[in-house]
Amino acid sequence: MSTLGLLRTLFNSKIVTPNAIQLQSLNRSPFLVGLFFNHEQVRTMSRVKRRTTHPPYWHVLKNNQRQDEKISSDNLRFVREVIQDKYKNKSPIKGSDLDIEKKEWDPKTKRSGVIARNIGVQHMWEKDGKKVVCTVLHVLDNHVIRYVPPEEYAKSIIGAKVFRNRKPLGCLVVGAEAANPDRFTRQYCSLFNEVGLLPKKRLARFIVTPNAVLPPCTPLTAGHFVVGQAVDVYGKTIDYGFQGVVKRWGFKGGPASHGATKFHRRGGTIGTGRDKARVWPGQKMPGHMGSERRFCRGLKIVRINMKYNVIYVKGTVPGPTNSIVQIFDTLLPRRKFTEAPPHPTYFPPEDGTLPQEDIWDSNMHVFGSPSISV
Amino acid sequence: MRQLFANRTSSILLQEKCDEADEKSVSKQKPGDESGNTVVVAPPEFRFMYPEFLPDPAMERRNRLKEKLERIDMLQRRSVVEIPEFYTGSVMAVTVADANSPNKFARFVGICIQRGGSGLRAWFILRNVVDKQGVEILYEMYCPLIQKIEVLRLERRLDESLLYLRDALPEYSTFPLDMEPERRLNNSVVPINPLKVKLRPRPWLERWERQNLQGVEDLNLPQRFYDKAEKVAKPWEKYDLMLQYRKTIPAEEQEKIFSDVHSQLQQQEFKRKMRRRRGTDNEQ
Repeated sequence: MSTLGLLRTLFNSKIVTPNAIQLQSLNRSPFLVGLFFNHEQVRTMSRVKRRTTHPPYWHVLKNNQRQDEKISSDNLRFVREVIQDKYKNKSPIKGSDLDIEKKEWDPKTKRSGVIARNIGVQHMWEKDGKKVVCTVLHVLDNHVIRYVPPEEYAKSIIGAKVFRNRKPLGCLVVGAEAANPDRFTRQYCSLFNEVGLLPKKRLARFIVTPNAVLPPCTPLTAGHFVVGQAVDVYGKTIDYGFQGVVKRWGFKGGPASHGATKFHRRGGTIGTGRDKARVWPGQKMPGHMGSERRFCRGLKIVRINMKYNVIYVKGTVPGPTNSIVQIFDTLLPRRKFTEAPPHPTYFPPEDGTLPQEDIWDSNMHVFGSPSISV
Repeated sequence: MRQLFANRTSSILLQEKCDEADEKSVSKQKPGDESGNTVVVAPPEFRFMYPEFLPDPAMERRNRLKEKLERIDMLQRRSVVEIPEFYTGSVMAVTVADANSPNKFARFVGICIQRGGSGLRAWFILRNVVDKQGVEILYEMYCPLIQKIEVLRLERRLDESLLYLRDALPEYSTFPLDMEPERRLNNSVVPINPLKVKLRPRPWLERWERQNLQGVEDLNLPQRFYDKAEKVAKPWEKYDLMLQYRKTIPAEEQEKIFSDVHSQLQQQEFKRKMRRRRGTDNEQ
């Protein structure tokens, strides 16, 4: 086979993975690597924009430009009364819309997720005395804002990308952290007019199967989850700012002494002179580190506090303390539900009995119980 | 709170001469607020007796709800195991469940050389010299494997951290493993032991001459050590108000935290005292 023919077959082969950006990547079979390439680094994500300072163009403007309106205190009080009146009589659960068709749970159901705040890390102990680092997640005042059915969602900008090659699912828009409407623009507040809720500071989309639909205004609490289940937590990692190559990529840098002149934390060589004769895209260099969206998958819930709406999750989650995260049922196949969870979500019992305040996993040592004797 | 106890148990209190509730933890009563209720404020000594209830001062990582939940858990654990008041320099004995011990329990006696951590992460280090070998063990105060914490000798030293005992002569760190708890004559004040420890000759683990240690005898070093220490010292730090502010929790917040926790701690102490008294009565 001629070299030209060989090269043509190389360039025509594509590595296709679902939902990945398809790049014309060269065939990386082992014997060819030695022939043509000297370094093999994964560079598929090097061209993708990983963080922006502005929201997508289809979002409405959210925050009000704080104008120094010189309102008298009487008028200010009047404005507050108007706001209270507007939202006072609207109870969160609208009567007619609460008739949830009792759809059955099946193992392929995708339930809604929940917006929470990572409030810190606490140490707990298992029944054999082993210490476990648990992250405390405070489930904020979540309410379902609207449901977008599968056909409609598949036509939207994000939905078209997500469901390009598969059967479309519905999308639940959930909001958390009610705030004073003063700080938001009218367009943003209009998103909540249909449900009649105070505008929320955070909104999130959760992909759900049609049998896990929730009507608007449904509150979501910590009881949505079950102690012992595995969850995925999605958040934005800690923002380290502009970082050098040692911290960002784990390079070793240079020697601290032995005559090294101005070469202690630098990257060193960035390419050969021969093949390509340029710096390859994706070359590891200093730059902005952190503030990226990441998942932590398969974290086990060890304790739920129903009174304060707090979930204790074994392990750590992306993001600093007091940052917002999204929690949903895991997609790891071996840790999924075998029995039906609270489907479509948890509702407090109608006979008014209060749920158990603090639910612990069977493996954990409860603090009020006697000391462990091995 | 105090008056309630006085009414119920006045006869028993009168018999006991040195009673902790009377002298040490005197709860102040603030002048009533608008509703007319008196607000009980924890005594100021609480921040020394229970320092782990105060959270880590770093503002980026603070969250009031999480601190509140952690305090509830701490009080739950304290209701099961008595975690007594102790300071650096106190001699303590800790019994821990240990699968590898013959009795399944391991007891260690030692002097507390350092304590730290906040919330459920609070820890302290005990040091002793066993068979001419210095041994230090770090215990986590709220670990459920701990069965018992006893304070054999409650006293303070001139320094907050006694890490220099590692470089001191071994007799300063040696305590008999079967030491009996010592009874205090005066319960209201924790005595400060003005002992000055003699260090072994150099080399040392740290540069003790740079650390302003009060509890150490004259180090007798050549002058160049003290000159270098002066060069490296930061004498302006004692004037830096913001530095001190960032290292501590403000007084108003401390009051709030301890008034939260105060009544429960007092109740637990009272219950324990009653149990002890009932125990001694039965023995008699």
